[in-house]
Amino acid sequence: MAVYEKKYVWSILLRLFHWTFAPSIFTLIVTGLYIHWPWTNTWLEGSHQFTMAIMRWIHFIAGMLFTCAVIARLYLWFFGNKYERVWDFLPITGRNIKNLFSTLLYYAYLTDHHEERLGHNALAGTAYFFTILLAIVQFLTGLYLLYPEGSLFTSIGATLFGTQQVARFIHYILNWYFAWFALVHIYIVVWNDIKHPEGLISSIFDGFKFAKKEQ
Amino acid sequence: MNRSLFMGGIPGTMSRRGFLRACAIATAAMGLPMEMVPKVAEAASDPKRPSVVWLHFQECTGCSESLLRASHPDIATLILDLISLDYHETLMAAAGKQAEEDLEKAIERGNYLLVVEGGIPLKDGGIYCKIAGKKAVDILKHAAEKAVAIIAIGTCAAYGGIQAAKPNPTGAVGVSDIIKDKPIINVPGCPPNPHNFLSTVLYYLTFKKLPPTDKFGRPLFAYGRKIHDHCERRPHFDEGRYVEQFGDVGHRLGFCLYKVGCKGPETYSNCPVIRFNDVEVWPVSVGNGCYGCTEPNFWDTMTPFHKRLPNVKIPGGKGIQASATEIGKAALGVTAAALAIHAGVGIAKRLATGSKSEE
Repeated sequence: MAVYEKKYVWSILLRLFHWTFAPSIFTLIVTGLYIHWPWTNTWLEGSHQFTMAIMRWIHFIAGMLFTCAVIARLYLWFFGNKYERVWDFLPITGRNIKNLFSTLLYYAYLTDHHEERLGHNALAGTAYFFTILLAIVQFLTGLYLLYPEGSLFTSIGATLFGTQQVARFIHYILNWYFAWFALVHIYIVVWNDIKHPEGLISSIFDGFKFAKKEQ
Repeated sequence: MNRSLFMGGIPGTMSRRGFLRACAIATAAMGLPMEMVPKVAEAASDPKRPSVVWLHFQECTGCSESLLRASHPDIATLILDLISLDYHETLMAAAGKQAEEDLEKAIERGNYLLVVEGGIPLKDGGIYCKIAGKKAVDILKHAAEKAVAIIAIGTCAAYGGIQAAKPNPTGAVGVSDIIKDKPIINVPGCPPNPHNFLSTVLYYLTFKKLPPTDKFGRPLFAYGRKIHDHCERRPHFDEGRYVEQFGDVGHRLGFCLYKVGCKGPETYSNCPVIRFNDVEVWPVSVGNGCYGCTEPNFWDTMTPFHKRLPNVKIPGGKGIQASATEIGKAALGVTAAALAIHAGVGIAKRLATGSKSEE
């Protein structure tokens, strides 16, 4: 019988990042889709309804939290613990490139070999890396749309994306990327948690994973 | 129709009252305080009228038309009184060789304001627009050399306009893509509001420089704010009352046009404030959404005009397009199915080979 030991992997800041990022994405998708296509009808004039304004208000607050979360993760890419730093999981080292392919084979049920890693595997890490990059695009387009007149964000947005309409289009397409990412992420996490007793899901709550003890 | 209803006078004659009125409107449009009206009026009545050369390239003359056919003639009269229009193909009396001579003379004298209307084709050496045997791009470069400043009137001259829409068969571009060493100001719109053109000219005459602009070269006094933020239907937007389709109850009640594709939320212009034709109308006030005609590449990014967002080209398909929502939903659906298959394979494998999970 294998013996496992508890290992501290995810710092408090990383867990805070995750639990700000995930609910904000959920909120942003729900309110964002409403803003894109307001499906409620409030055809009563002079009523107290303020539906779109409230949806936008929630969307903006969630967007601010989303932005803060992304900035926290960017900080951890370089100043986090050894599992959180970007070179621990990007396929830029031999170890990670090997792990990227072995993970792909493993996920496709083509091999039973599972490499023990406490941090992200290279496949997940690469996906998270690109997700954070897209999140930066998302909050920049969002800030451009939110501050349309003469601010720093207007200037950045107009330079990077062009007109507001282009920014809105990118912002909307990326909304679907984040929905897609959430679906895949939750599935793979649950799948991994079932396959391995390393405490993957609980690790994002308490920071601890379980690794096989060398005997 | 009794046109005198909207006319302050017969074109060519202008009352003092009409003149000051136009100066006051222009001053307000420039965002200047009322104390500036005398200065603007002074600049406008300066007997030393600046020379203006007005070039037409790939365009429909709609910009000139909207300027001249403004129901209130004072604007057109004022503009034509303000400036010495030395070359304007559709307005000048001269024709043929004589016209070309006028242009050369005006260019030789120098120190003129160059107004450009229409896009300039560059593909295949720029052969797709020629006037008097000369290519548009060469005429523009030649005329720009001695110009003190350039005003690109209309979206075509500013950003290429409709002929620059994909696939842009003639390689059309705007003035600022060609001329780099002159002060250029864009007054886009399809057509632009005559007041904005007038205000730009008056600003130049009053201050001897072009007004401050945004990233797309548009004067901030006219294009500094979003249509959506000044729209009279904005309360309906915030409270969630929308036109679902043209002609429905909401449409008749004047609700927000957001769901029928109004581009007000992404378009910068003062249309809701300054309005058109002196009868206080603009597209949204008459029940049609904004088309975003003051924005660069609006023929590509704002179409379909009655949908919120442009369609997405499907990669690999031959011009197949679908709405972003359809693609997003399809991607989610396919992924969910793939994940279900993945989970199914895992379960089947486990049943076939026994549990592989570590103890």
